[in-house]
Amino acid sequence: MKVVIQTDQLSKYYGKGGEIKAVNGLDLKIYEGETFGLLGPNGAGKTTTVRLLNCIINPTRGTATVNGYDILKNESEVKKVTGLLAESPGLYEKLSAHEFLEFMGALYDVPNEILTERIEDLLKLFGLYERRSYLLEGYSRGMKQKILIASALIHDPPILFFDEPTSMLDPRAALMVKDLIKKLADTAGKTIFICSHILPVVEELCDRIGIINQGKLVSIGTVDEIIAQTKTQTLEEAFIAITGGVEEKELLAWREQKSGNP
Amino acid sequence: MATPKWLVVARNQYRITTSAIRRIRAYFIYLAIGLLAVYVGFIAPAIVSPFIDDFLAFIITQAAVPLVQIILFMFFFFMILFPISDTLRELQTGQLEIFLAAPIKPSDVLLGEFLGKMPFYAIAIAVVTGTFTAFLTPLGLDITQIATIIAVFVITFLSAFWIGVVIAAVLRTKLGKIARGKDLGRALAVVIVLPMIAILYAIIGGGLPEALVNPGTSQMVRTALSVLPSSWGAEIFVGFASNPGNIGAVGFETLTLFGGLLVFFAAALWVGTKVANRAYSLEPSKFTSSVAKPDGFFYKAIRFVGGGKSFGSLLSSIFKDYSRRLENLSWIVYAVGLVALLRIFISDPSSEPIDQLMFLSEMAMPFLAAFVVGTVSRGKETLFIFKKSPFGIEKFVKARLVQGWLVAVPIAAALIAVLTILLPQIRLEYLLINIVWGSLRTLTLVAVVLGLAIVNPIFGEESRERNMGIILNLMVVLFATIGLEIGLPRIGLSFGRMLPNIDAFTVILYDHILLTTVFSLVGIFLLYIGIRKLNKIE
Repeated sequence: MKVVIQTDQLSKYYGKGGEIKAVNGLDLKIYEGETFGLLGPNGAGKTTTVRLLNCIINPTRGTATVNGYDILKNESEVKKVTGLLAESPGLYEKLSAHEFLEFMGALYDVPNEILTERIEDLLKLFGLYERRSYLLEGYSRGMKQKILIASALIHDPPILFFDEPTSMLDPRAALMVKDLIKKLADTAGKTIFICSHILPVVEELCDRIGIINQGKLVSIGTVDEIIAQTKTQTLEEAFIAITGGVEEKELLAWREQKSGNP
Repeated sequence: MATPKWLVVARNQYRITTSAIRRIRAYFIYLAIGLLAVYVGFIAPAIVSPFIDDFLAFIITQAAVPLVQIILFMFFFFMILFPISDTLRELQTGQLEIFLAAPIKPSDVLLGEFLGKMPFYAIAIAVVTGTFTAFLTPLGLDITQIATIIAVFVITFLSAFWIGVVIAAVLRTKLGKIARGKDLGRALAVVIVLPMIAILYAIIGGGLPEALVNPGTSQMVRTALSVLPSSWGAEIFVGFASNPGNIGAVGFETLTLFGGLLVFFAAALWVGTKVANRAYSLEPSKFTSSVAKPDGFFYKAIRFVGGGKSFGSLLSSIFKDYSRRLENLSWIVYAVGLVALLRIFISDPSSEPIDQLMFLSEMAMPFLAAFVVGTVSRGKETLFIFKKSPFGIEKFVKARLVQGWLVAVPIAAALIAVLTILLPQIRLEYLLINIVWGSLRTLTLVAVVLGLAIVNPIFGEESRERNMGIILNLMVVLFATIGLEIGLPRIGLSFGRMLPNIDAFTVILYDHILLTTVFSLVGIFLLYIGIRKLNKIE
């Protein structure tokens, strides 16, 4: 199978002398058509990894290739073959949905004759066609998320990055996004890289999972493989076993110590 | 062929900027051009015509070049500040990720953002240029001179806007990456205009035009400002005004200065595109978070003032939230700065010292009250925290009131003390009475402003919206103060009229006590209404 994303000791350090290792020596291979999930607690380095792979920030050490393009040498090409749904993206709230998608399409050089039709298709797909002229400031969080996903798809890239795609959505919108990701992977043959700390989403959608903790990739494999590696019963237990967590008995200890207080 | 990226960004920026007028967007440009033509052709000449004779007399004086230099520098400075201040008020770095993830060069983004706002910059430039050329037309300048003047103004002010856009982009990125960046940006946006207000006040009431008649002062100012491109334009302007219809008289000088302007503009564009890479980056510059120290003497004292129990803790928390925001502190600096500038430039030195003091004090107290408690809370969510707790709104308003007093009253007292001490031959009892009176009046004004703020609450995080609320409340208390000062004696409510046998100082004192009582009653009433309103908010 063709490798479309390959990282080689990819690292990003911050602070004086690089004491904060946001991503530390990441070695990863992601195959064409695969849906890969990068799991990790908050601050583990997931978003930094996505930003590195999208040439938004530069690595401190190491490199990576995306669809055969080096992130250090072929920045523009990498950007053209990827679509990104960022974790906390800035929407232009004073634009309508149509205007925003038109702008995003133009940024990615989508020809005008294709762009209008594609915007309409995407807006219909996400059920927002009737509200296409409304300013984004009036959209709900879920609707904004849909527009952002549409903007990531506007130039029809072969590789898609979704950073916390369902974290702000209600169950219905989350289900729709999950179905869409499945369709993109199954029928459109896209390679999808999902970052999340919502385990069921990753478990349901991803062919393989990588678990990152404090910048280090600590485990990789299918869900079953990871559960087997950690000798646990569920992905949740496996995740806690790998990344650490609070013991059940510690949770209410504060209350028992001060049980006399109101 | 694909549309150039800078054009894509420019179109997008234009759409964002004209979002509020999207219904007339299609013909906005034509409308603007039409209105500007009317302004330049009819309104500007009508505005300047009463001053033409004075202008003709002035343009041949020693003061002409340096004063035009100063005025043009003011516009130049303002046009640099405008994009910076606009950006600092609402630092938004979210969209950076869109650009950084897309195949587009930072210089294209910068150029696009600049060009997208160009129609609005062009309006400002056209208004300023139109006004200046209206002064020149009656002098009989030939068409080449007029065209040169217009070109000079356009290049000078475009350079200023470009510099402003570049600085704004760099600041947005730098400040957007640090934890307190937004707050720091808003604070800077408040105080950044003080130098310009200083120049404005100096021209209006500071006797600057008169001072420039002195050859020594004139030459000094001229030399100091000569390095600025706005001054080169001023030299051309005055040169043409002194030699109407005779461009040859200042031909070489004009050519040199105009050439200098062109080189400056080209250099500014080049430097801007070079720093664009720094302006568009998500690389964190430093990883520091503000850390709260354990409560020291100050916050312990605040708790004590609040009664030491749960309200003391609440007051201390409200105080911390207030004082740790640089934006709030910048408003205090702004208030004190304005009073200082009024004292230096505007306060009429020929009037009675006691009148000067009254004028400045009457300004200082509303400024402080409005700038300290001019808005309620940031976001309804904060208010709902209080609404959820028993008698939460009452506790919240009480805490904000006490916090407002603790901030505004000592500063007002100190300001009034300084202003009083600056008066000649001041007696100690006057000083003490002024401090007590000023403190009491500030107490009541804080209650009035807070009452106004909660009667008409603004919860938005947007700086522009909040600032409008503050300014509106300031205007209300300022005009109420002036209105009552004038109005109460007119309806017979003056101790001078009621008790004709007492001395003038006692009359003033009693009248102020009366006014302070009126403000107290208004404040209590507004706070009562406001609390009811906040309790009903859903």
